[in-house]
Amino acid sequence: MTAHAPSFHERASHALADANLQRSIAGLKGGFVAARARAVAALPEFQAMREAGAAIKDHTLENLDYYLERYEAEVLKRGGHVHWATDAADACRIVREICARAGAKIVTKGKSMVSEEIGLNEALEADGIEVIETDAGEYIVQLAKETPSHIVMPTIHKTTGQITDLFHEHHRRYGFAEPAQDAAELIGQVRSVLRAKFFAADVGITGANFLIAETGSNVIVTNEGNGDLTSTLARVHIVTAGIEKVVPTLNDAAVLLRLLARSALGMDVTSYVTYATGPRRPGDLDGPEEYHVVLIDNGRTKMLEGAYRPMLRCIRCAACMNHCPVYMSVGGHAYGWVYPGPMGAVLTPMIAGHEKAQELPHACTLNGRCQQVCPVKIPLPDMLRRLRHDQWEAGFIRGAARWGISAWAWLASRPRLYHALTRMMVAVAGLTGRSRGRFRHLPLASGWTQGRDMPAPQGETFHVAWAKSKRRR
Amino acid sequence: MGREEILKRVTAALGDRRPSQTDRAALDARMAARPAGPPVRLEGDLADIFIAKATANLFTVERIASLQMLVPAVRALLTESDEAPDISMAATLNHVGWPAGWNINYGTGRPTEALSVTSALAGIAETGSVVLASGVGSPAGLNFLPDLHVVVLRASDILAHPEDVWRRMETNPTAWPRAVNVISGPSRTADVGGVIVRPAHGPKRVHLVIVDS
Repeated sequence: MTAHAPSFHERASHALADANLQRSIAGLKGGFVAARARAVAALPEFQAMREAGAAIKDHTLENLDYYLERYEAEVLKRGGHVHWATDAADACRIVREICARAGAKIVTKGKSMVSEEIGLNEALEADGIEVIETDAGEYIVQLAKETPSHIVMPTIHKTTGQITDLFHEHHRRYGFAEPAQDAAELIGQVRSVLRAKFFAADVGITGANFLIAETGSNVIVTNEGNGDLTSTLARVHIVTAGIEKVVPTLNDAAVLLRLLARSALGMDVTSYVTYATGPRRPGDLDGPEEYHVVLIDNGRTKMLEGAYRPMLRCIRCAACMNHCPVYMSVGGHAYGWVYPGPMGAVLTPMIAGHEKAQELPHACTLNGRCQQVCPVKIPLPDMLRRLRHDQWEAGFIRGAARWGISAWAWLASRPRLYHALTRMMVAVAGLTGRSRGRFRHLPLASGWTQGRDMPAPQGETFHVAWAKSKRRR
Repeated sequence: MGREEILKRVTAALGDRRPSQTDRAALDARMAARPAGPPVRLEGDLADIFIAKATANLFTVERIASLQMLVPAVRALLTESDEAPDISMAATLNHVGWPAGWNINYGTGRPTEALSVTSALAGIAETGSVVLASGVGSPAGLNFLPDLHVVVLRASDILAHPEDVWRRMETNPTAWPRAVNVISGPSRTADVGGVIVRPAHGPKRVHLVIVDS
């Protein structure tokens, strides 16, 4: 998937003006946060679990070559195939070749963020294959020719009315003549339409929440059961997964699963956690005849190199975006690519490149809530700050912003001049603004004052006030 | 080609002093030891905790004294008019003495399945989950295709944590099943308007039959 052309500013303004979107987000604001808080409070071991989860991920990443080879060996021993894809194009090529060999006409898909990242659906459709997303939310987004706006709840931006209209348009050919009345009826249509697709599919593609080196398994976590029907009923099962998904053992996955369900949905556990391993065994009545895993790098080894390595701990729970005031104001589409919110603001520049995500690291108030709730303790604000620095160093920050920051840096590194100048400015601003106590408009700061008033200074700078209070003591 | 390239990139990114070069034995030992995470404390009788959690997960739960009581238990789940029920079952349960008039499919799951009966290899008290493994007599599809899924679980197979289940299972390539399904409730989704709807793609109802002996 290519990153959208319009800027974050334009998309965010559009999102803020979209009444339907604002209603949809508002409805979810309290829900996720409260549910997570309840689930976390109900597990006294949660903080210890976070420490353990982060440590497991760090340990695995520090020895990633060992665990990838170990995982591969176990998959091979159990009759599966492992493919290694250096980038998005390589990954799509590998999946297309497997589908071509299988003579695939219909491909069902379980939810896989990495498949969105590599633009897999478009690649397969270009080969004339019918690709069907089977997660109800992903299916809706696919029918609407949109992209997910949240990594756990892809349809967070859509109202029930919009989905009713969408299904009325697309489901008539399956015999649903009348518009559905409510959510239950809409989901009933999804179940009925997709049940036939699961059985008709030649190839089923799923992602992996985890890959387990101990058993060569891929773990999928769902509440719907769509991932299981995808991986069980098609003749060929393909797993697409980033190389950072591997964990050493089943017990390590148990720690991370406890964190995932609570952080993503505020639940102890999801309805289905499935460990799928290789093709059907001799005597098995169902399961795929072929099992393939495509291990995808696509920028991950670059993150592994240095300061951004902790980002590879991410287990895609979405707690960071659920607690982000920016995400909760503008929704996921404003971020312009597959991964929204704080995790997306780090991943998008790392995977799609700085040039496609220049504004994202700045779409952050550095309030730190994302880091507080991250189940694997990723220092997201630090990473966003570092990305801003990298952008500066790489010359992506240009024009007035660059000039302004340079001037500020010059001034701030000269304390005497700085103090004199700020004293003067505060005195002048205090005199002119004291009568009202605030400014409606300020020269050079219209971007700030358009949305809010600037309080007028009360006469002296912080440094002066601080020095006075120290003398008093 | 991609393999060597990616492993080369990983090795380069990790630098020379990473432990995997100096101490593969320690990593092998960690794999063999499979350390568990922070223990989650459970207080009380395991079966009681399990049943309370499973009920909270919206399983319906019933206890029977022995496997002989399974037939009446399943009969009670059928609609009253259903004199020749058409159900699916894991072949591992074919010895229970099912009525001759019932149509029982011991094969793979079909696109329309009213009811299936399969057996669990363990229950997990911590989360109120059942663990089912695919195998010669137990196709995984039967866990996902029916409207009503009946899971048979021996009380003695209720364990505290997932780690206890893994300890009991053989993980070697011949013994480890193709699919291990940990199921913790009926199928559901909240993808339309944030409203929870049951079912999505899997069973609308999951009924646990706990066998005491």
